[in-house]
Amino acid sequence: MSLVAMTIAAERNPAEAAATERAPSRRWARLMRPAMGLVVPVVLGAAWEYIVHIGWATGRLAPPPSVIFQTFVELAKSGELQRHTLVTLGRVGAGFGIGVAAATVIGAIAGYSATVRRLIDPSIQALRAIPSIAWVPLFILWLGIFEASKVTLIAVGVFFPVYLGLMGAILSVDRKLVEVGRAFRLTDFAMVRRILLPAVLPAYVISLRSGLGLGWMFVVAAELMGASEGLGYLLIDGQQLGKPAEIVAAIVAFAIVGKATDWLIVLAAAPFLRWEDVVRQD
Amino acid sequence: MLSLERVGKTYPNGVHALGGVTLEVELGEIVAVIGGSGCGKSTLLRAIGGLDPPSEGAVVLDGERIAVPHEKIGIIFQEPRLLPWLKVADNVGFGLGDRPKAERATRVAAALKRVGLSDKAAVWPRELSGGQAQRVAIARALVPRPEVLLLDEPFSALDAFTRTDLQDHLLDLWADAKPTLIVVTHDVDEAIVLADRVMVMCPRPGRIFDDIDVDLPRPRDRQSAAFDFVKRRVLAALDRSLNRTAAAADAEPKAAAGAAMWW
Repeated sequence: MSLVAMTIAAERNPAEAAATERAPSRRWARLMRPAMGLVVPVVLGAAWEYIVHIGWATGRLAPPPSVIFQTFVELAKSGELQRHTLVTLGRVGAGFGIGVAAATVIGAIAGYSATVRRLIDPSIQALRAIPSIAWVPLFILWLGIFEASKVTLIAVGVFFPVYLGLMGAILSVDRKLVEVGRAFRLTDFAMVRRILLPAVLPAYVISLRSGLGLGWMFVVAAELMGASEGLGYLLIDGQQLGKPAEIVAAIVAFAIVGKATDWLIVLAAAPFLRWEDVVRQD
Repeated sequence: MLSLERVGKTYPNGVHALGGVTLEVELGEIVAVIGGSGCGKSTLLRAIGGLDPPSEGAVVLDGERIAVPHEKIGIIFQEPRLLPWLKVADNVGFGLGDRPKAERATRVAAALKRVGLSDKAAVWPRELSGGQAQRVAIARALVPRPEVLLLDEPFSALDAFTRTDLQDHLLDLWADAKPTLIVVTHDVDEAIVLADRVMVMCPRPGRIFDDIDVDLPRPRDRQSAAFDFVKRRVLAALDRSLNRTAAAADAEPKAAAGAAMWW
């Protein structure tokens, strides 16, 4: 996963590229550095493949990489993988949308108004302390066993990091910059648009990313608890029918889609965050 | 004309930061405010700027009482306080939000050229040196053509060479439109290089201790005997102002000012 991010970072940095052209050996080293992370999984995978191949192990419960790949391809060919992925993606999308919308509105108000913060923040913090999975029985009672309860669980999971991130970001906006806004006689609305919004954006994007991560975590929980489709259903199906390769294939699909959606947020936010004074490292 | 009528400030926590300052400043005059820490220099400047309105007395500019920031008053802080998410040109044009785009562009370009940073128009503030950033802040404050420009220890965070450089540059810029300048500083040389009048303040509560005219021709030679003579006068006044109340400096008013600022 990190390989993707690393190569992107390297491509974006022309100065770095120019420097590497001057020293071919350093360039080689730089290209190889991300590949270092692949050494351990590749060696382990190849070793397991070989062990199963020569018959030291059956690989029935822990299938070798080739079998997993084959299962993955078969699931993709039959369209099963796409169908389940889309269902899961839909749930995460709906839950993420609802959670982010609620967290953004409530977090912004709580960050802006001390009165509202005193009123609602303690309750929200108390709710946050509850492991969100604990809500599942209640959600099922209230909302039934179908989509509504699943989406609600995901929305609850997404809500807290986004709420906390946004409120914290608003509270920690540099007061000196707010004063610049005051000195230039900005209206309240202009103050929000020209100072507060850009100032909280970096922290908000990070909170969206951690919210999305929790969304993916909770969709698995929701689907494990009862679903007739979705990647989580593939996991349960693989368990009940004794098909470990299917389980691992579903896990791989989770990893790919999870990383891809995270990357989409990063990509969407990038044009607004060019100003950030970050140290780019490999 | 800017006039202060018995301007006093008592913070909610009971600190009596400013005890009735009365002062008249003509348009185009340069006034330096100097004094030990805790003597209310910054409080006075914030009151004039409308950022922290006085609790007693009044600040009046051209017959208008100032209680909130006013369009005729520009402020330059100790730090550049550029908005990191705006390119340099957009920072300079920050105070022109309500003007047509074309007018904004020409005025920003002119201001950047005037401070010698035309080539930095399209860079982020983080790519500027400390001196360049402060020049951008000066351009930002001057672009709306203020009648009064307030400077709160504007060069104190810079190295000595950049500081004298920017002092000369500030005078050069001032000559364009000749706004009133009020410069808070703790640097005696800076006060004398810049000002027509040096106000020496004394603490507890902050008030004007001495008002010294600087009657030297510009540009002023920092090494000249006449300069040195004025400097001795200011230093002597500073000495006396501090001896009278030997209390330790306190940072409380500044902290309170910060708290009062937030919504």
